[in-house]
Amino acid sequence: MKPVRRFVVIAFLLGCCAVIGAEPPRLPADQMAKAIRNDAISIPTPGELFAALEKPGKPNWVGQMRGPIGTNYKNRPQIALNLGSLIADGFIAVEAKDSQQVKNIGTDIIKLAKALGVSENVLSRGNSINEFAENDEWDALQEELEATQNEVKSSMQSHRDQDLIILVSVGGWIRGTQAVSAAVMQNYDERAAKVLRQPALVSFIQSKLNDISPDVRDEPLIKEVSGQLPGIEKLVAFPVGKAPSADDVRKVNEAVGKIMSQIQAKDTK
Amino acid sequence: MKTSMSIFAAIGLAITTTFAAPESDTEVAARKAALDLAGAFSNEGFKMRDGHWSGTIKPKENALIAVNLYSGNQYWFSVGATEPAKKIAVSVYDETGKLVQTEGYSEGDKAAAGFSPTSSGQYYVLVDLVEGNESSVCFVYSYK
Repeated sequence: MKPVRRFVVIAFLLGCCAVIGAEPPRLPADQMAKAIRNDAISIPTPGELFAALEKPGKPNWVGQMRGPIGTNYKNRPQIALNLGSLIADGFIAVEAKDSQQVKNIGTDIIKLAKALGVSENVLSRGNSINEFAENDEWDALQEELEATQNEVKSSMQSHRDQDLIILVSVGGWIRGTQAVSAAVMQNYDERAAKVLRQPALVSFIQSKLNDISPDVRDEPLIKEVSGQLPGIEKLVAFPVGKAPSADDVRKVNEAVGKIMSQIQAKDTK
Repeated sequence: MKTSMSIFAAIGLAITTTFAAPESDTEVAARKAALDLAGAFSNEGFKMRDGHWSGTIKPKENALIAVNLYSGNQYWFSVGATEPAKKIAVSVYDETGKLVQTEGYSEGDKAAAGFSPTSSGQYYVLVDLVEGNESSVCFVYSYK
């Protein structure tokens, strides 16, 4: 069937469905299972998560900021996880409009990026972050943080550090979820709580972690993080349309908080 | 529609792909078309994700892309293609495979679909080559 004719047929079928009240055809399960999934498109950024959280009302972003974390980790997978979490911290500081905090986090991001041996391009991002923070250019800072994260990942790819790329995303997702669940706990709102529903995302992260090389996967910290994801997947699998209760949110916060403590702990190896 | 976009997002997108794999001229052109379209939504306060998917699409085939979205946000999914694609279409399905009602935009080898999910979770964006022959396509999305 020619594409135009196929399009007309589909439109006709949709019209028929509307007339007789039947549902239009659904995507088959096997097609959904084979859908394209990649780190750059299928994992939302912390900024995207925080934008959704803000819709019902401005959360207490200042209350979600954490103290400085170590920047002298020796274990590369742990550095990658912490780098991702620091980028999420940068987004939190931008939401809180705290320019000094943004600059401090920017400096720490660069320290961790240097420890991973990423390209000079990434290092120059530190100057841009400082400049935007000085001038309170919050939108530009969000874009710069996302670009920094992607540039770190690109640099890792070119250095054949593919396994570390997903760890940057994982660190960002865990820290972002920790901040969001804490904000919802402080001022419970059903609409805000709904942003925590992401079972497919956790499942995708888990599948990516299963794909990394055995030497990285067998690192104690990575085993620990990976081992806790199935439990978190269940915790964020709320029914469609139903907001998690305050107690559900607390459970999510405790689970991701536990992983975050392990990620930022010293001497995991 | 006005077509302007964030310099940073554009730089980021360019960098992201620089290290991934060399892009053909048609892939670059498809990406430019997608960015031009998404740039129009930036004028309405949408932030463009600094990431994209590129590939080829053949007649009678489609590309299905999984995205994870948040309730409360508004989204626009923009796709650009190149000749010999004549017409492309974008539609969105929820995690059960049910078609979602979207706003649409279509102009030859560019198309977009926009909606505001009421439930957070996984969604699927279907890119369909309605008219024309095998072509490079590029997918980006924006949110606010």
